[in-house]
Amino acid sequence: MTGPAISRPYRMARFQPRKLLASGAGVVFVLYVVLYAIYAALQPSALSSGTFTNLVNNSVPLAIAAAGETLVVLSRGFDLSVAGVISLTNVVMAVYPQQGPGGAVLSLLLCLAIGGAVGIVNGWLVAVLRLQAIAATLATMIVCQGLALLILDAPGGMVADWVSYELTDRLFGVVPVSGLFALAVALAWLFFKRTNLGIGLYAVGADEQAAALSGIPVRRVRFAAFVGAGMIYGLAGFMLSAQTATGNPNAGTPFLMLAFAAVALGGTSLSGGRGGLIGSILGAATLMLLQKVLFSGGVSSFYTGIFQGVVLVVAIVFGSAFASLTGRRTAA
Amino acid sequence: MTPQTEMLDKFAAERDTRKARRFDRHTVSAVVVFALCVLLILASRLVSPSLGSFQQVLTVMTLASFLVVLSFGQGLVILTGGLDLSLPALITLGGVLTTTWIGNGPGAWYLLPAVLAVCGGVGLATAIGIVWLKVPPFIMTMATSIIVASAALGLTNGTPRGASPEILLLLMKGSYLGVPAPVYFLVVFAVAGWIVQSRTVLGRYLYALGTNREAAQIAGVPVTLVSILPYVVSAVCAGFVGMMLVGYANGATLRMGDNYLLPSIAAVVIGGSSILGGSGNFAGTVGGAILLTTVGTVIAAIGLEQGLRTIIEGAIILVALLLLREELFERLRGLSAKVKSAG
Repeated sequence: MTGPAISRPYRMARFQPRKLLASGAGVVFVLYVVLYAIYAALQPSALSSGTFTNLVNNSVPLAIAAAGETLVVLSRGFDLSVAGVISLTNVVMAVYPQQGPGGAVLSLLLCLAIGGAVGIVNGWLVAVLRLQAIAATLATMIVCQGLALLILDAPGGMVADWVSYELTDRLFGVVPVSGLFALAVALAWLFFKRTNLGIGLYAVGADEQAAALSGIPVRRVRFAAFVGAGMIYGLAGFMLSAQTATGNPNAGTPFLMLAFAAVALGGTSLSGGRGGLIGSILGAATLMLLQKVLFSGGVSSFYTGIFQGVVLVVAIVFGSAFASLTGRRTAA
Repeated sequence: MTPQTEMLDKFAAERDTRKARRFDRHTVSAVVVFALCVLLILASRLVSPSLGSFQQVLTVMTLASFLVVLSFGQGLVILTGGLDLSLPALITLGGVLTTTWIGNGPGAWYLLPAVLAVCGGVGLATAIGIVWLKVPPFIMTMATSIIVASAALGLTNGTPRGASPEILLLLMKGSYLGVPAPVYFLVVFAVAGWIVQSRTVLGRYLYALGTNREAAQIAGVPVTLVSILPYVVSAVCAGFVGMMLVGYANGATLRMGDNYLLPSIAAVVIGGSSILGGSGNFAGTVGGAILLTTVGTVIAAIGLEQGLRTIIEGAIILVALLLLREELFERLRGLSAKVKSAG
């Protein structure tokens, strides 16, 4: 019973083209490339590094937030506090700017600490006290929103110049700096996925009882998922602040639904145990690219949502059809 | 014949005890929540002398009527193991259609049901995606929400116009025998909702489906129909809340539903239902909705700044969750057993 659940991440980790295509990340990657081709056809400047950097800068906060959410979703949980942490770190960045590169590091550590602290509370409520994850993180989200409002009650403030200039710039004139942060998260994930904790994450999400019986410390894994997710939201808030250069106590609100949409689009099962962070990052990038494509296609921005919703449903339906198709083939 | 009757007796006995235990836990939940409401209203007198009056109770009930209607639909969806995130968008759709199609012109008597039918149609589309295309409820209702919100934005070009139909003003602003009309409505709706959920075959089907889908199917529950229905009911309820809000504020805005999603979930959960489905009752949910509204009005009246108010709101949800934990009931039951054995 427990064998396949544990060995699955190991097998996924090796490079297997057919499986990669069948996984959600493969589907969403193809979708991204197709969309980018359409974008390039509509807007010739799409292939310039300036436009690409803009696109990456826009997508990175959502991509990182969705990556954090994935950790919790994989362990069969929900974390609504993503919106609260992003708002809170954003206002902290805008109200207490730290100048220079040293200040930037200090701010980053502060953001990670805030996110980690919220994650510890979530983990304690859900893993230790066994409250329902949706309800408990709803409460922590609201408390974080309140704290953000206490620090800054209306949009305003200024993020440190170094952060807002350097982190939205290009390295060697080509590579978007913000993209490197998303890449760092992806690489950290590839490493983490092979650790005991990472394997435990999949096992707990797939079948909690089986995981417990095979000696996985379920409570510790759950707790770690929330803390890790919280710290990643902190990073998302940091990147968002670099992007907007200003503070807004409600900055995180739009991230709530979009983060889940990106996770689902990236092929992670919302019932846990299947998927990964890289799919979510690509899912977020696809959602943001879709907005650009629609805009350059002359679709009124009022109707962007209709397309986003339809793409989400179609991607899910295709993804699961694809997975069951290839799943049968590998079984045979 | 004899063995059969024996079997029937056996089943009847088993069913009775199970029902009694389930009823017990949720009644306790509902009573705790209602008691908290009363305590809070009485305690608010200490904060400000203008609070804690009968008049304030009526105001709270009026404001709670929106959340009660909304969380009935949300509760049915949660009961079957789903979650409806499309409610804010459907509230807005219901409200915007009411003011732009009908306004204060004629034909409200057939156009209002038409608006509800449109909302129900959206709910049906959502349900079809969930039941036949097998999209998880969380994602499907989220997609519906994004689509409907953007359609409402496009339909109104960003600025909804029009006023409320006469009949909605009568329903929401009228007052009879010194009691606002929405309070009567709330009481009737709460009783009707409780009967549908706890005392009808349909209600029992929903519990069966939420507890164990396969078992329900084997037991002869029309699974497809019963899976579709909660989403349609939930969408119609949200559309109706849109109308109520139009009557209350005499107009519609594109963001009128935004603040209702999380409270609708919170009301159901605080009322003692499991977010995973299969348990809970509507009396608890009504209590949860009234409690949340009471908290909101008391906090607003204290005159704290927005940030502190929000923090207190979150803290209260947390405290309610901690108080209503399953283990607490077990402990209470153990305690009462101890007392009994001692006496």
